[in-house]
Amino acid sequence: MKSNPNLSLMKKNIYLILFLSLFLATIDSQAQEIVEVVEIAEAEEYVDSVESRPVTGYYSVEIGGSSVLATYLSPLKYTGKNIGVSGFWTKALPFNPQHAVMNFKGDANLSSLMNPAKTASMIGMFFDFSWGMEWRTKLPCDIQVSAGGAVQIAGGLYYLLRNSNNPVETIANLSLDISASLSKSFRIGRLPILVSDRIQIPSLGVFFSAEYGETYYEIYLGNRKGLVHPGWWGNNFRIDNLLSFTLDFGRTAMSLGYRIYAYNQWANNLNTKVVTNSFVIGVVPGGIGLKNKPKTLPENKIYAIY
Amino acid sequence: MRNFLLISIITALNSLFMASCHDSPDYSDTNLGNFDALADIIDTHYCFLEDKGIDWKATVAKYRESITPETSFIELFFICSQLLDELEDGHVNLTSRFATSYYRAWWTDYPQDFNLRTLEEYYLDFNWLSTSGILYKQLPGEIAYMYYPSFSSVISETSLDYILAILYNSRGLIIDIRDNGGGMLTNINTLVGRFIDKEITGAYIQHKTGPGHSDFSEPYPITYKPAEDWHIKWDGPIVVLTNRSCFSAANSFVAVMKNLPNVTIVGAKTGGGGGMPFTSEMPNGWGVRFSACPLLDADLKCIENGIDPSPGCEVHSPQEELAEGRDAILDFAIDMLKDNPLPFPDEEGEQDN
Repeated sequence: MKSNPNLSLMKKNIYLILFLSLFLATIDSQAQEIVEVVEIAEAEEYVDSVESRPVTGYYSVEIGGSSVLATYLSPLKYTGKNIGVSGFWTKALPFNPQHAVMNFKGDANLSSLMNPAKTASMIGMFFDFSWGMEWRTKLPCDIQVSAGGAVQIAGGLYYLLRNSNNPVETIANLSLDISASLSKSFRIGRLPILVSDRIQIPSLGVFFSAEYGETYYEIYLGNRKGLVHPGWWGNNFRIDNLLSFTLDFGRTAMSLGYRIYAYNQWANNLNTKVVTNSFVIGVVPGGIGLKNKPKTLPENKIYAIY
Repeated sequence: MRNFLLISIITALNSLFMASCHDSPDYSDTNLGNFDALADIIDTHYCFLEDKGIDWKATVAKYRESITPETSFIELFFICSQLLDELEDGHVNLTSRFATSYYRAWWTDYPQDFNLRTLEEYYLDFNWLSTSGILYKQLPGEIAYMYYPSFSSVISETSLDYILAILYNSRGLIIDIRDNGGGMLTNINTLVGRFIDKEITGAYIQHKTGPGHSDFSEPYPITYKPAEDWHIKWDGPIVVLTNRSCFSAANSFVAVMKNLPNVTIVGAKTGGGGGMPFTSEMPNGWGVRFSACPLLDADLKCIENGIDPSPGCEVHSPQEELAEGRDAILDFAIDMLKDNPLPFPDEEGEQDN
């Protein structure tokens, strides 16, 4: 049986059309992908050109005095020196960079203390880390306020060297904090200065306290009863307040401040009371955005600190 | 700007205010201030006021009236020491830079029943081995002997393996803790672990939960685990030698050992010291040590007043006999063990018996 030549030619044409269609479809989809990628890149470039959200890091050292009453260790108030280092990082959040900021804070402190008669010494070590978010808004007269919350973990110990079976008081807290700040910028000559007061108050959480006359030996044996307590302002009040003056030199900023840290814990008929006053000096690499800079891209940096 | 600083200052003052909501006693560094601080520390933290039937307020009042602003600090030290002596507790001390008070009557009013020189000369023949603070030797008659004078000496598991291996082929083991004034409770676990084959509750511990004289926690069990399988253990007869100067951790060791079926306590009643001590201090810097956490035996009985020897095993070693080279308590223990079989009898020895 012979084939129809017209039919054969028609088949060839159909295959050719299908092949060309497929080829063109492929080319088209690749072209569309390229266009999309270019569009996204252009869009990102556009966004970058108008807005960036740098991480503002604030690093400080502090030195000052501390007084500690830890009735598990002694009925007397110990006083002495305190030194510490801390880091505070903030960044504007993408969904509302003008108002929403995120922060992370870490502190470490070391105290060397003596009793009133200078016959016994105590060593204190303390750290805390917190992560939080705040909502900020600018008010007239270059005033900015912010408020928010944070999750904080804090711990440490006070070691009274001459005690026998009660040599250490351990501090351990996990808390939800409220935080707030108030700041205002002004200039002295051409130097922009930011004065701010930042406060953080743990409000609800849990904390550790050995029982009134319990040895750590008994805890080591496995008796965990009565060690963990729900904390609130009535039994575990802490406040961390930093008043600072930040001088913005453009590429960097320097901060001078005064920090008061107060801690009052009351559980199991035991009282721990710590008050630390410190002089703080810190730096902010990259500055805080108050100093005028050459007009280069990105044009609009949104600083989390101010 | 002024308002801003004002708000900051108010915030700082507020933090100080909140930090001082709970007031703690504030003692002055005067004669009466120091005395009152000491009296309060004992009143609120000492754990045996009720057990010993001490009327602390009356006791304090008796000594307080002898203190005046003219009382010298040395006189004050002695008045405070006398106050603390009323507790009749060897764990109570007052420590200053010129002296440490110490209640000694818990052992000075009793026979000593021990002489180290007699032991070393007449029983050990000035020839013994020692490691981890333990003197040891196999005495004539194949009696294993260990002398452990202080629980402050940390006992190494390896050293204990060597000691028990060297002494292993013996008819019985004598653990002499006479004159052992205590030390670390953890050494009890190391020792007891070699004499048990399953976990036991050997004692209990309590603590004060508040300043009241009867504010105590529920007794919490102290368990003792057998040593790991690869360590050498002793399952033969054991005699623990005690005298009045066995105190604190040594007292606790006896409390645990007396409940083991293969253990006999021989000698005199121990000196007690059944309260784990805490330390506190007075405004003038003097330190105060006192019993804070009662230790109880396996029958939940307080061990503060000492532990009696096993029935029929109260023995004393008079000084005159010790001076002549005879230790009645040690002789009694040797006599108890001398007829026991050896774990690995030799051909001529044990099998013929």
